[in-house]
Amino acid sequence: MTDRSSFLDGPLSLSKGPRGWRRLRLPRGFIFIVPLLVFLAVTFGVPLVGVVMRSLGSSEGISLKYFNEVIQTQAYWKIMLNTFRVSALVTLMTCLIGYPLAYWISRLNRTAQIIAVTLVILPFWTSVLVRTYAWIIILGNRGLVNETLLKSGLIDEPMSLVFNETGVAIGMIHVLMPFLVLPLLAVMIGVDQRLVLVAKSLGARPWAAFWRVYFPLTFPALAAGAILVLILSLGFYVTPALLGGGRVPMIATVLDTLINRMPRWEIASALSIILLGCSLILFALYRRLDGVFK
Amino acid sequence: MKAYRGKFSPGSLALNCFGGLTLLFLSGPLIVVGIMSFSAGSGLEFPPPGWSMQWYEQLFASAQWSSAVKNSLLVGGVSSVVALVLGGLAAYGLARATFKGRGAIFAFFLAPLIIPPIVTAVALFLIFTRYGLRNSILGITIGHVVIITPYVVLLLVVAFQSFDGKLELMARSLGATWFTSFRIVVLPMLIPSLLAAWLIAIVVSFDEVIVTIFVAGSQPTVPKLMFSQLRDRIDPTVSALSTILVLVTILAMLVAWVVMKSSQNSRKAVAGVMAGQAATKEIG
Repeated sequence: MTDRSSFLDGPLSLSKGPRGWRRLRLPRGFIFIVPLLVFLAVTFGVPLVGVVMRSLGSSEGISLKYFNEVIQTQAYWKIMLNTFRVSALVTLMTCLIGYPLAYWISRLNRTAQIIAVTLVILPFWTSVLVRTYAWIIILGNRGLVNETLLKSGLIDEPMSLVFNETGVAIGMIHVLMPFLVLPLLAVMIGVDQRLVLVAKSLGARPWAAFWRVYFPLTFPALAAGAILVLILSLGFYVTPALLGGGRVPMIATVLDTLINRMPRWEIASALSIILLGCSLILFALYRRLDGVFK
Repeated sequence: MKAYRGKFSPGSLALNCFGGLTLLFLSGPLIVVGIMSFSAGSGLEFPPPGWSMQWYEQLFASAQWSSAVKNSLLVGGVSSVVALVLGGLAAYGLARATFKGRGAIFAFFLAPLIIPPIVTAVALFLIFTRYGLRNSILGITIGHVVIITPYVVLLLVVAFQSFDGKLELMARSLGATWFTSFRIVVLPMLIPSLLAAWLIAIVVSFDEVIVTIFVAGSQPTVPKLMFSQLRDRIDPTVSALSTILVLVTILAMLVAWVVMKSSQNSRKAVAGVMAGQAATKEIG
């Protein structure tokens, strides 16, 4: 009969076969993993290796000349710095808005909490294109915000809120907010409120109790969320392409130009690898923080 | 918890206002799109000058949009089923695996979620160009399977892990073959999770923008057509389509949620989705 360790392999296990087969027995569960492993190796692993090879200029001998070109060309530097600057700004704003929002939701009663979480998740599952379109309507020259402000007489002519960096930042903050708020909320709900109460009963003012007890308890989650938001914003394509009006170059939109218009595929590959590297480094940091925190 | 809450104060009032406004910031845009879709105007004025159904009529009459919807449904249908089969098997294997390196394999399966989608798009563009798969429905479908399979794996690993392996062991010890025990014991208990994973896969596929616009060439799909309209020439047909998309997405997520809640391992599965959502959804 089958033993405990092999039963799940079922008929695909070779353990019942002739003696010689035993040694060939695959690890438990492995056989089910093979189809996806092969599929992703071909459709994801190989293409990625292809990008690495192309960035090294494999067809004309391996060298770092494309990386050199990216690093030495001022335009690419500017784009990378711009991407980091916009991403950092967006991350900061998302934290400044997201933290109080999560705190507020965590203190609501149960029904209000469910409604609030639904309102956070709803845009989360909506196509980014739909949301981008919404911001074009709201922020445009004849949009909701400008019309309201003009009618109320607060401004004399429409402000440019879209097709520039402001529009991109607003769109990105909107897309990224749930990524910060949802994990943060999960942690905040788990914080033992009695700790804050104890601090207060020992004479701490409410603000000090919050700042010196509650905030340190939730800070790791905030930091992890901020890194996640930063990683995601580095690779943004749709929002800068549509809300930037061509004035906000970011790595992803420049990749589009290098691939589809220029075309300079080797440079695009090198830039992709740089973006990938930055994301992976940040992701390692995220995992560390997340692990420390758990 | 009520006892712990602070007394009414200007601070808590300010926090309430802030919270309400932020929720408005998050969900308001969707409402604006919904209102806009009934506009009688032809520009982007908001609030609209009057009301009509003209954009819905134009949307349904448009051959361009209907072929895009057909392509998107085809791609979404095929890629979600392929992702469900491949991802489901892999999740079953991973949940039971004990061998070394399974963590690395799991990480590889989730990699398309972690790597910026633009990098995946560039990689697929280059290789599809070489092998003539660019500008084809097959190419788009393969790209979508790459993007959506991690969601399926993530969701189903949680489901398989919380499933009691002893039940399967019992069936086997009573003489059932592996296939019979899988079919009679394992599958029925997992149907809610499978259905939820499938729905989420379809929604993600339908929304996938970046890989699609890089790989699709001249093949129209819904996100591709929407993207080029938003970039080049916006007309409110987009708001009619957007409204329909939002409603369909809400419906799909609602069904996924109800189905998972009804399943035995609902809490864990929902937690899994939440965790997955937080770390994953492909975006802008």
